[in-house]
Amino acid sequence: MGAWEGLLYGLGVALQPEIMLYCLIGVVLGTLIGVLPGIGAMAAISLLLPITYYITPEAALVMLAGVYYGSQYGGAVSSILLRLPGTPQSAVTALDGYPMARQGRAGQALFASMVSSFVGSILGIVVLVLLASWLGRVATQFGAADYAAMMILGLVAASTIGGGAPAKSFAMVVLGLILGTVGTDVNSGVQRLTFGSTQLMDGVNLVALAMGLFGVAEVIGNIRGSDHGSPDKVTFAQMKPTRDDSRRMVMPTLRGSALGSFFGSLPGTGSTISSFLSYAMERRVARQPERFGSGAIEGVAGPEAANNAAAITAFVPTLTLGIPGDPIMALMLGALVIHGVQPGPMMLEARPEMFWGLVVSFGIGNLLLLILNLPLIGIWVSLLRLPFRWLYPAIIVFVCLGVYSVRGSSFDVLAVAMIGAVGYLLALARFSPALLLLGFVLGPLIETNLRRAMLISRGDPMVFLERPIAAGFILASAALILWSVWGAVRSARRRSATR
Amino acid sequence: MQRDHHDLWGGLTLAAAGLGVAVWSGVHYDFGALRAMGPGFFPTILGALLAVLGLLVAIPAWTRAGVPSPIHWPEALAVLGAIVLFGFGMHRLGLVLTTALAVLLASWPAERPGWVWRLALCAAVTALVWLVFGVGLKMSIPLWPQLSRLGIG
Repeated sequence: MGAWEGLLYGLGVALQPEIMLYCLIGVVLGTLIGVLPGIGAMAAISLLLPITYYITPEAALVMLAGVYYGSQYGGAVSSILLRLPGTPQSAVTALDGYPMARQGRAGQALFASMVSSFVGSILGIVVLVLLASWLGRVATQFGAADYAAMMILGLVAASTIGGGAPAKSFAMVVLGLILGTVGTDVNSGVQRLTFGSTQLMDGVNLVALAMGLFGVAEVIGNIRGSDHGSPDKVTFAQMKPTRDDSRRMVMPTLRGSALGSFFGSLPGTGSTISSFLSYAMERRVARQPERFGSGAIEGVAGPEAANNAAAITAFVPTLTLGIPGDPIMALMLGALVIHGVQPGPMMLEARPEMFWGLVVSFGIGNLLLLILNLPLIGIWVSLLRLPFRWLYPAIIVFVCLGVYSVRGSSFDVLAVAMIGAVGYLLALARFSPALLLLGFVLGPLIETNLRRAMLISRGDPMVFLERPIAAGFILASAALILWSVWGAVRSARRRSATR
Repeated sequence: MQRDHHDLWGGLTLAAAGLGVAVWSGVHYDFGALRAMGPGFFPTILGALLAVLGLLVAIPAWTRAGVPSPIHWPEALAVLGAIVLFGFGMHRLGLVLTTALAVLLASWPAERPGWVWRLALCAAVTALVWLVFGVGLKMSIPLWPQLSRLGIG
């Protein structure tokens, strides 16, 4: 199916009332979650996983994706008004958005973030369609070794590029991989690491794991000191940009969209990194870089375009190859697998309604977000007056009910408490729970492909270097590992020199 | 003596867990060979890898100052306690009472003093949950205390 045919076909899917409704629910919830500091997109998607059991896979994917890109619109609001990033992706928006708000230009800053987010998303959709049709064709030539090598690159990239100590990041990925092996081994039927528990035969429950690691752990960490100031009122009329603002926004938005589209589609680099890179780039190309940090509208428009573009193109590897590039995509993939849908090159052929319906829903959802956010900005801003202490007990109850509703199991609820305790301790000690989840989802896929590759090559590991595609991924992984080891050694040396 | 306690204990715990997984898998599951990997292959290798990585985290932490981040005990205990209460309470106390108790327990560590807002929040969340899950979705969850199950425990 060509791109135009596909889009037309997708329009037919996405305009169904049911899909439209879940798209609307997704983007509204996403904006809400994004606006409120203290709970991020990972937690929101985890919370909604149980609901997806009751709806079709298409509607589920459309809704969860809407939560993700909707949260990017909402995250900018609290970043700009309170310097409290609602989501990590919009942290960099506070650098210039908050000074703008202090100068009484909150409306213009919000306008810049909304419009550039929209442009970024639309350009991201174009890139997604082009890349996906091309990758879909290439991917049919991928063998088991190529898949395994690409997933290994994804894990290595996510743990080296994301910041933080590389050894801690790798440890979390490996812990996730180990958790992924729990349950019945598909090849031999052996019960692995279940220690006799029948509850663990199907493996660790993704819903319980995600809710414990993100929902519960984030709530515990955010209760103390959550009473923030109230923002000033913002009305639609105040959002009108000056002629100078509009002129300054154009190029940063386009540059940010291009940058975000590129980095979003790579494994391991998601929308957070894209927004930081875009900010750095805007400051470098600016004629007066000293304006940055004290209310430059370019510093809002660029990163917001970048993170939204990246949020869309992150679906490229997830949908065409079945390989999630970042933890949020891992959660999406997990949601699809719950429904028995295995994304990959086959999906484009076998379930075109899934792919093209989602692509068109991105367009509809972003249009909805623009309509919702510009005139209704006052409502979202007033939501920021809602203190976290009124929200989190309700969140905890919904976590429990959500987990319980999946299979009526008290065991799962107690598991959430245990995983939540571990997740909270991990976050305190600055071990990344997101990487654990990425490893958990990719683990079974890597093991299956690795076993298959070794079976085909009769146990010869050289297959990873003889196949050009696999060799490229392996060499890139090796380069990233060397780079991070070198970085760690250098910083250790610098520390001992200064002592 | 300065130590990075988070990394030290975190790393050692992970190393111990990795070692445990590797030994358990190595003993109990067939390792197989490269050309035909057994069920033990992946967990054993991963366990060993985690043990090494845990040590790599812990060893440098021995001589390095860390930034301590204290555990928020009241918040952690209240939230986790509310979930545990929910897990045990659902079948025995029913949805309404369990939700009310869980909200009260969870809201206890919030910094704002006073009981009025806590009770109001408790009533609001309980009513919402009852309307959505009990009346609206008609989920097969007991709504009120199950006397027959209270005795058995």
